[in-house]
Amino acid sequence: MSKGKVTGCKYFHALKKQFSLQIFVWVGLIYLFVFSYLPMVGLVMGFKDYDIVDGVWGIFTSEWVGLKYFKEFVNDVMFERLVRNTIAISVLKMIFTFPMPIIFAVMLSEMRSLKYKKLVQTCSYLPHFISWVVVAGISFHFFSLKGIINTLLVNTRLLQEPISYLSDKDLYWAMAVFLDVWKEMGWWTIVFLAAIAGVNHELHEAAAIDGAGRLKRIWHITLPSIKPTVVIVLILAIGNLFGGGLSGSNFEQSYLLGNSMNSETSDIIQTYVYEVGLSQGRYAYATAVGLIQSVISLILILNCNFISKKISGSSLF
Amino acid sequence: MLEKWKKKNTEDKIIDVVIYLFCTLVLFITIYPFYYILIISFNEGIDASLGGIYWLPRKFTLDNYSDFFTDTKWLNGLWVSVLRTVIGTGLSVMLTTLVAYGLSFRHLKGRKIYMVLIIISMYFGGGIIPYYTLLRTLGLINTFAVYVIPGALNTFFVLVGIAFFEDIPPSLRESAKIDGATEINAFRKIILPLSKPYVATCVLFVGVNQWNNWFDTAIFVRDKTLSTLSFLMMQVINSTQVSATAPEHGISIASTTTTLSIQAAAMMVATLPIICIYPFLQKYFVSGIMIGSVKE
Repeated sequence: MSKGKVTGCKYFHALKKQFSLQIFVWVGLIYLFVFSYLPMVGLVMGFKDYDIVDGVWGIFTSEWVGLKYFKEFVNDVMFERLVRNTIAISVLKMIFTFPMPIIFAVMLSEMRSLKYKKLVQTCSYLPHFISWVVVAGISFHFFSLKGIINTLLVNTRLLQEPISYLSDKDLYWAMAVFLDVWKEMGWWTIVFLAAIAGVNHELHEAAAIDGAGRLKRIWHITLPSIKPTVVIVLILAIGNLFGGGLSGSNFEQSYLLGNSMNSETSDIIQTYVYEVGLSQGRYAYATAVGLIQSVISLILILNCNFISKKISGSSLF
Repeated sequence: MLEKWKKKNTEDKIIDVVIYLFCTLVLFITIYPFYYILIISFNEGIDASLGGIYWLPRKFTLDNYSDFFTDTKWLNGLWVSVLRTVIGTGLSVMLTTLVAYGLSFRHLKGRKIYMVLIIISMYFGGGIIPYYTLLRTLGLINTFAVYVIPGALNTFFVLVGIAFFEDIPPSLRESAKIDGATEINAFRKIILPLSKPYVATCVLFVGVNQWNNWFDTAIFVRDKTLSTLSFLMMQVINSTQVSATAPEHGISIASTTTTLSIQAAAMMVATLPIICIYPFLQKYFVSGIMIGSVKE
């Protein structure tokens, strides 16, 4: 009894001593509560017969409808197209956007001229800082019917007719992946290049003395040494798989580069949520559709984290 | 140089050639698009729409820029962008570093729970519709505040900051406190000056996000006087998307400029600050970002 009192006193004493620090943190926690956790409460909309005219409190007072909207989405005429595009674009990005920085980092680390290496590297991550709006604007100058690529190819007679890269439904996926690689490759190279810089030089020297060629050294020394970093970045990428992997660019790309000509391949779940929710005002339905994607993402990241912890010992949490 | 090259075996030579070719290609593909927009922005718009410009402007002009800087719509957008970047970044960096600093104390009561709350919020959220509802309830829709208030706490940089501050010897803070400094003064005068790499990284990233963001204008703001530069560029893209099928560029009356050529000037204005700043902060963010990604 008295012991509890003493520890209680100690607790408050400690709390008093770190009062300012607690204040700093609590300001952040209030922010977190308002802007992150309150919207999570709003997710109940997805299970309720809610209409915007009911006001905010209507979210809680309106009637429960269970999984009605989830069923509605599965039966939606758009369902197949949205799921197919979301999965296809995301998986294609994983296949192409993820390995490119690793390959590029290995190449840069093997480069002899340090000055040139630095120049290439610094320039290569410029696009990471540029907004997708500008990237979309640039790609318009390059890939539209009168864009520089078409003019060049037609003038040199490599093409008979200009191709409208930006409004062809068969080309949207390729464009999305290409632009994603262009924008983000240099950036993620930083992480891998730093990992490679940490590799012990003596390993390379010893292998060279034993007669291992450059390719062999890359394969048997460089790549295994950066495996933990690769695993961490891979978990991060898979955790945001349906957002577009490392860069999370699916939504912005689809919004900026999607048009009536390529909507068959550019419509994704996220743009659909935006469209039905904010343009058509069907809040409850849009919330339910959005929730499906967040839950799948959460399951993905938890599983990846678990598997990688078991296999390689590296994990996010 | 030649002697060295002769001494190498074939495998070495092939690898060297492949690496230099590939890296040069990457360099070209990355830089040329920006260069191309630059020359287009200095070329007469109507002339540029004929195509065939690759290396230098064909009909040099400053009209695109003078049209950009005399158009109140663009000027206002530029002003709003600058304002939100300065205020938004200041607010966000202040809040984020303070929270990170508080959480970097291992003995902080409740630290574990706080951390769990932060990490959950990073991997799960309410989604766009509940978020919109919340902002409407708070009366933030259609105000300047929506640009700078809701996103001020950057949880990713809180984690980076915790890792950074943990490495600063605690004795520094303790000696300052013995000298009678308050917690906030100890932080401002002792800790912050030691944290340049972290703060610089934070400023760069938050600043770039503020500068580039167009999406919050698109969904939360209808008031045209609050349109940002990014948002205005987005509108041009949306309107030219229509002409992607019928290749006719909007031509303004009695002028050599087109919507597309002014757009090119706008893109240069939007890109230039970034090109000027990021190479100088490079040394900071390369180490700053590593703390975040390598931390277990």
